[in-house]
Amino acid sequence: MLHWFKRRRQKPKSYRTNEEWVMQLSAPPEDEAVAELRLILVRGLRSSLSVYVDRDLEHFVEDIAQDALLRILGKLDTFKGESSFASWAMKIAVRQGLSELRRKKWKDISLEDLAGMGDDRNRNDIRSEYMTSSSAEPDQMTHESMIMKKVMEMIENELSEKQKMAINALMIEGMPITVVADRMEVSRNTLYKLVHDARVKLKKKMMEAGMDPDEMLREL
Amino acid sequence: MIQAVVMTVPDEIGCDECFDKLNEFAEMELAGKSPEKALPLVADHLKKCGECRQEYEALLAALEELQG
Ligand SMILES: [Zn+2]
Repeated sequence: MLHWFKRRRQKPKSYRTNEEWVMQLSAPPEDEAVAELRLILVRGLRSSLSVYVDRDLEHFVEDIAQDALLRILGKLDTFKGESSFASWAMKIAVRQGLSELRRKKWKDISLEDLAGMGDDRNRNDIRSEYMTSSSAEPDQMTHESMIMKKVMEMIENELSEKQKMAINALMIEGMPITVVADRMEVSRNTLYKLVHDARVKLKKKMMEAGMDPDEMLREL
Repeated sequence: MIQAVVMTVPDEIGCDECFDKLNEFAEMELAGKSPEKALPLVADHLKKCGECRQEYEALLAALEELQG
């Protein structure tokens, strides 16, 4: 028996079926299955996150694998078998790892810290800066700036304060959606929908104002 | 940003629905089947959402590693 375990451990690939994984990880989970899943997660995370982590990758990956493991065990019942179990588990770990990295990177910056929040004068400054920082040709730039100005007016007049705050943080300041969602105390999905509604509204307003979306895409 | 507005369509899915299908989408991609045809709304979301796209690419890298 011991021999069999040893041999299995050396194999990087899992030979469990989806049903076996779910059965062996269901409470109380079997140590051997948990250990093997952890190895799989660590290996996948190490390879996929190495480009994002500049030091202590091993430590970071171990931590994320541990957090992801708990999450995976907690939502086993949502695995419906649309893919291999390893792919499903891996996506949870990868999202965990990248979310953690985004949060770390932006941890000291609040929405209020972002220039332009709560102060109209600042906001205008940053907008004009954004409009002129383009590397486009001078001719195009004027046109682009004009469109941009119109869109900024629409944002100002048509969107809710929450939508404005989200668009400013996401699209102008480049803050990740994961982080903005944390700050606004909503889920990432809710925030995506909030911004989607804002985009739908802006697009409608653009068309009402006689701006042809396809033409604009070609020009920009 | 203008591009994001112009590309907007009414029936976009959110990050949760995209995440639900991400493993399936990735396996199809790795198997050389066309996931963008089978799951067009997921493909559309991945085009529009930088973070879901980043997670998808990381997932592909991880699964390639596990397969290799
Ligand atoms: Zn998304």
